Amino acid sequence: MKKCLTKFLFSALFVVVLVSTSMAQMKVTGTVMDGEYNEPLIGATVQIKGSTIGTVTDISGVYNITANTGDVLVYSYTGFDSQEMTVGTDATMNVTMSAGSTLDEIVVVGYGSQSEKEITSAVVQVGEEEFNQGVISDPAQLLQGKVAGLSIYNKGGDPNNSATIRLRGISTVGANVSPLIVVDGIIGASLDNVDPNDIETMTILKDGSAAAIYGSRGSSGVILVTTKTGKANTGLKFSYNGQVSTSQAVNTVSILDGPSFVAAGGTDLGGNTDWIDEVTQTGFRMTHGLSASGGIDNTTFRVSANLRETNGILKNSGFDQFNTRMNVSTRLLNDKLKIDFNTSYTNRNQQLGFNEALRYAVLYNPSAPIFGADSPFEFNEEQFGGYFETLGLFDSFNPSSIVNQNRRDGVRREFNYGATATYSFLDNLSATFRLSQQNIDRSTETYYPTTSAFRGNATSPTRKGLAEFYEFNSTFNLYEGYMTYLTSVGNTDLTFTGGYSYQEDSFTDRFFSIGDFPSNTVDFSTVIEASQDLNNAGFIAANSNASPDNKIIAFFGRANATIDNAIFINASVRREGSSKLGKENQWGIFPAFGVGVDLNKYLNVSSLDLFKFRAGYGVTGALPERSGLSQETRTITNDPLTGAVGTRLAQAANPDLKWEQKQELNFGLEVATGRLSATADFYIRNISDFILERDVDPAIFGGNRRFENSGELSTNGLELAINYDVVKNAKITWNSGLVFSTYKTTLDSFAINRSARGNLGAPGQNGTNVILVQQGEEIGQIYGPVFDGVADDGSPIFQDVNGDGDLVTGQDKILEDNVDFAVLGNGTPDFELGWTNRVSIGDWSINAFFRGAFGHSLVNTFRAFYEPRVSTQSSYNYVTTENAVDGLTTARFSSLYVEKADFVKLDNLTISRRFAVNSKSISSVQLSLILENPLVFTGYSGTDPEPALIDDGSAANGEFTDLNDVLAPGVDRRNSYFNSRSISLGVNVNF
Amino acid sequence: MNKLSKLLIASLVVFSTQSCTDLEENLVGDITEDISVEGIALPGSGGEATPLTAAYAELRNAGSANHGSYYSNQEITSDEMCIAAKGGDWFDGGILIELHQHTYSPTHAFLNNAWNGAYGAINTVNELLAGGTLDDASIAQARVLRAYFYFRLMDDFGRIKIPTTPGADVPQSTRAEAFDFIESEILDALGVTEITPGMDLAESVLGRGTDAYQINTFGALGIIAKLYLNAEVYIGEAHYAEAAAAASYIIDNGPYTLCGDGCTVSNLGKRTGVASDPDQLEGYAAVFAPNNDGNPEHIFTVNYDEAGGGGMNFSQMNLHYASQFTWNLDAQPWNGYATLEEFYNSYADADARKAANFIVGDQLDFGGNTVLDFASDDENIVLSYTPGINELQPNSQREAGARAGKYSFQQFGRPDMNNDWVILRLGDIILMRGEAMARMSGDWNAALPDVNTIRARANVPDLASIDAEGFLAERGREMFQEAARRRDLIRFGAYGGTWWEKPASDDFRTIFPIPFDQIQASAAGDNPLTQNPGY
Repeated sequence: MKKCLTKFLFSALFVVVLVSTSMAQMKVTGTVMDGEYNEPLIGATVQIKGSTIGTVTDISGVYNITANTGDVLVYSYTGFDSQEMTVGTDATMNVTMSAGSTLDEIVVVGYGSQSEKEITSAVVQVGEEEFNQGVISDPAQLLQGKVAGLSIYNKGGDPNNSATIRLRGISTVGANVSPLIVVDGIIGASLDNVDPNDIETMTILKDGSAAAIYGSRGSSGVILVTTKTGKANTGLKFSYNGQVSTSQAVNTVSILDGPSFVAAGGTDLGGNTDWIDEVTQTGFRMTHGLSASGGIDNTTFRVSANLRETNGILKNSGFDQFNTRMNVSTRLLNDKLKIDFNTSYTNRNQQLGFNEALRYAVLYNPSAPIFGADSPFEFNEEQFGGYFETLGLFDSFNPSSIVNQNRRDGVRREFNYGATATYSFLDNLSATFRLSQQNIDRSTETYYPTTSAFRGNATSPTRKGLAEFYEFNSTFNLYEGYMTYLTSVGNTDLTFTGGYSYQEDSFTDRFFSIGDFPSNTVDFSTVIEASQDLNNAGFIAANSNASPDNKIIAFFGRANATIDNAIFINASVRREGSSKLGKENQWGIFPAFGVGVDLNKYLNVSSLDLFKFRAGYGVTGALPERSGLSQETRTITNDPLTGAVGTRLAQAANPDLKWEQKQELNFGLEVATGRLSATADFYIRNISDFILERDVDPAIFGGNRRFENSGELSTNGLELAINYDVVKNAKITWNSGLVFSTYKTTLDSFAINRSARGNLGAPGQNGTNVILVQQGEEIGQIYGPVFDGVADDGSPIFQDVNGDGDLVTGQDKILEDNVDFAVLGNGTPDFELGWTNRVSIGDWSINAFFRGAFGHSLVNTFRAFYEPRVSTQSSYNYVTTENAVDGLTTARFSSLYVEKADFVKLDNLTISRRFAVNSKSISSVQLSLILENPLVFTGYSGTDPEPALIDDGSAANGEFTDLNDVLAPGVDRRNSYFNSRSISLGVNVNF
Repeated sequence: MNKLSKLLIASLVVFSTQSCTDLEENLVGDITEDISVEGIALPGSGGEATPLTAAYAELRNAGSANHGSYYSNQEITSDEMCIAAKGGDWFDGGILIELHQHTYSPTHAFLNNAWNGAYGAINTVNELLAGGTLDDASIAQARVLRAYFYFRLMDDFGRIKIPTTPGADVPQSTRAEAFDFIESEILDALGVTEITPGMDLAESVLGRGTDAYQINTFGALGIIAKLYLNAEVYIGEAHYAEAAAAASYIIDNGPYTLCGDGCTVSNLGKRTGVASDPDQLEGYAAVFAPNNDGNPEHIFTVNYDEAGGGGMNFSQMNLHYASQFTWNLDAQPWNGYATLEEFYNSYADADARKAANFIVGDQLDFGGNTVLDFASDDENIVLSYTPGINELQPNSQREAGARAGKYSFQQFGRPDMNNDWVILRLGDIILMRGEAMARMSGDWNAALPDVNTIRARANVPDLASIDAEGFLAERGREMFQEAARRRDLIRFGAYGGTWWEKPASDDFRTIFPIPFDQIQASAAGDNPLTQNPGY
């Protein structure tokens, strides 16, 4: 790699040297004014048409630019109609601009930017004013419900968990299921290193033709994040914003209290404890953001620092985060060279806590005492740190002990920096080089003291206590260079872009655990030499991984044509190679084509401000998450007697592994008339050769699982966005926006025909796969027997669905043909809605945002396990919902536990007031009151009706799970974080 | 434009060079083929290179003594053990009940696990053989070991694939073809063309080493004796004479003795607070103890070890959660497997095997105090295993059923046990000879001398006469928990019979279905598997 980087830098230099001669030109100067208020426009763009050369106006609206006679200068400013003027002999060119009828914003797209009307694909830009409000620490949540087709769910809202992001549903089954994040041009950046306060706009490239220029990384869509920058010639500006918020658990699982549990036949342990209350707390969040920005001469900059503190609703969970970001942009060599430099650093100290406590709070015997001293039997409370434990029962741990005795702390540090240099060595030819690097370090330290029954092994007579350590480091490097050439032929403007991209990423991780600590007097995770495991072979667990240098190399080219300023054509091609694929299959070619027509230019319907049609087609490739899948790997086996070492096959090689391909065809229509604007998109997407670990014949391959190109998926979808100014006058404005999206994903072909997923797990429901993935069917089908009443012995009666008189209802037979099963629901929504209302009355503004998803179902696992009154299970609490069936004493999965989870939430209600301040130093103050999740309308009886798009799997009795199954949506697991409701108060001050 | 062309050409030249398009993937975090195709074979602490380390380790990987694979399929389809559904616990979609009631179907996960386990093992042996680095003795051992895995597969599934080189895609064999292959491989390794009473095995390349973790001449004979004893089931052809000859050869020429009086190991499960716990385990109990390595009865065993050789989890599988305090176990057990009451009652009280094989009654902890179950589902919170089980499903009492403790537990034991798991031992060989002689002669009393040898070791009086049923019962008492019962029931025509909570089952059930996943997976290759009759 080093060699390639050297060449890269050399060629960058070479290009600069090559063009250091410049033509004789004249200097043009002038002032740009706002026609309505007769004030100078600060920061207006002045650009030579057909070139990349441009400048911006200063604080007095004045610009200076070097141009040739005959050049056309284009003046533009957000919200104003652009103007063009030809350079003649006069060196002074003053311009007056007027506010535009329609906004024609500049939208950042791959390797360049375009004006909104030139775009031929489904692209949505969301600005700061449209973001969700509140103390939001995950940038993805700013967009929740705002973009048609973009699903963002963080079930329960665990502060230490990032949201699941899906653009247009499932786009691949292997990897890259989340959209590619591009922060200020840095591709593949981490969203975790961007503080929401620093974001100016987010642009979502939805379809294949838009994303294709990014290649494989864009196969699940692209989210472009543009952070705030300083404005030229504006002097120095400071701004502060701060928010505080408190939150409360809502919609917890409905269970019995001590006396009713005992009355229902539960084991009486003499007390009455509200375990949910014991493990939850009032959440608290606080954020402070400070930024300074400005522009002096040819340099603009912005620096910011953001501090966040979060305490979750689960006791002893939360984080403190510090983030800084700096963006500097400067123009050199007569504005020919533009250099952008940006860097950011995030340090997050996490108290990860134990979500398991929420689950045990639901199922733990409510008549059990918190402390051993209150035990109805003789109980050695010292052994358990004073806490009571129901010894002798599987999967049962005192929730209060879990949250109070153990700790799990994490640190996450992310540092990235990037530099972009653009040199315009001809009027119409520029070259851009970009280098960026991103480093992520994470570590987790967990300590279970000798008195913790939960993983601390307090029941063991000797080997008590456990300390676990995990460290992860990853590095990501990106080098890119591209050239842009502009030209005009007749009434056609052409832009050509061509370039090279080199990406390399790798990680290492290490895990280490050790236990058997001598006492509970200190936290032995910092004194691990005291571990008695050191004296016993086999107890210390250690594991490490290192990825190879995963490389993606690409050559790309794109041509944009604008004909008659009304017909827009984009075409691109990318040849891309990846080290993750089989040696002979590493390279793929991915083309894209798009066309857009401003129909109104020809139709001339006076009532229409905009009537544009566009169509795009693009192919992108997708890669598996893991590396090394094309090669054979082996594991060590030991001979315990002699200490000799051998190896056995771990993974059979698959040299035929090739690119997973996604073809997407998108049609869009954009209409604007008066107060109404609307966009509709329809798309058809086919994914072929998707990469999935599948069953193979072990008699041939030695192992029974291998990653292969395994089948085809297709998705059809429709998206609508409507915006309407209900009221718009000088005093009051009310803007209402609705987004709607629907899609359906079908498994067209599948190498193994069908597979069963979503195992409910222990206790007693292993072998209980509830999701069927089958060729020719929709993804996300919940499949099982149909409940039809209770038999005398308390067991469920199931329907003879196929009517053959033979009842086959064992969930383990899900893959067989003669079962009496039915499709009980689907884990993905039929459609999703977001409804934004922004009202402003003078200095007051109100923002009410509703969000809903419809048609999806969830398997309510809390009910499936704990709702039947199982007589031999009288030590777990019973879940009681209105769906409970009297007399049912056997826990068996069926339609009884599959619930429709349609919902509408008033997601966010913000009331704010702006105060004009007559002060030299303070220019404005704004106060906001924000309610998050104040109202939920749903028939779902579980904690949160939001779809479960990824299945995390089941973990019982203190086990861990690392499942991440995108093919098994719809299982609401018992580990889910509880939903919360919060109230925030925010202040925003500009100096 | 001239400038532009120069520039483009220059850039193209720079970026098309090798270092900018190199996509080599170097797996630094894995052991790859490049390091060793046939596997690393490093010498152990004794300096002795043991090329078959990976091959013998496969015995631990292939589900010999843990939950959800080969062992479970042999045990809970038989009349000696079951896993009852305990309320919400241990129902698991019905798969355990299905094994008990013989209603298993092709999608049964345990059957698939057993299939995968065996083929994974066979692949490792095939790789070692293909590597070309083994000496003749190791090759012979490897082939017999592979034949043993094929024997398990053939016994369970009948029609299997028999690849002998890595990556070979071969057609599904008939059960008879599989039988022939196993027979010829073992005969080849022994250096003979048939098993006869007068055969000369002195020069067999397998040798007569005393390490029970490796297959010697007697180990190979033991495996082929099992094959021949069941030949009538497998191929409809009696081979009892060969079975008897192989067994006799082991008994007459092998260094093995029955572990009886005076054959002791120290009792690693002894509780200091329980005076009745013996200091030593003697005889039958010593054969299966945590420190049973080197027992004189062992012919071929699997070396399980808590630290370096995990995979035996009987303490977890069999014991109630609270039994953790009886043995000071490192982890909480799972409360799964229990013995059927009728089977438990088939032992005389004086039978040494009854005490050795089962755990019943009130449980005491290390200090001699009763173990309590705070979540008890009856009035008495003392943990007490009852031989009777109230029901198979849905609400079996959590403490119901005698628990298998033959592979006995040690104090401070870990979830992975230290006991060596017995594949072949002299006691089994003696009963096999007796049975083969009886079947040859048509008179079950011909088995009496061998049966009484075994009974004597268990301190139960000699029998004066015996019939087929009596022999099966005696063999059951002796071979409990050794994954033999399913095969024995089939050979005696009793597998389709009835026992507690188990109705009569069809004859086709004596062969498991080819797993559904395997039929699906193999459909992609040149030789798709087809299902066994009846399923």
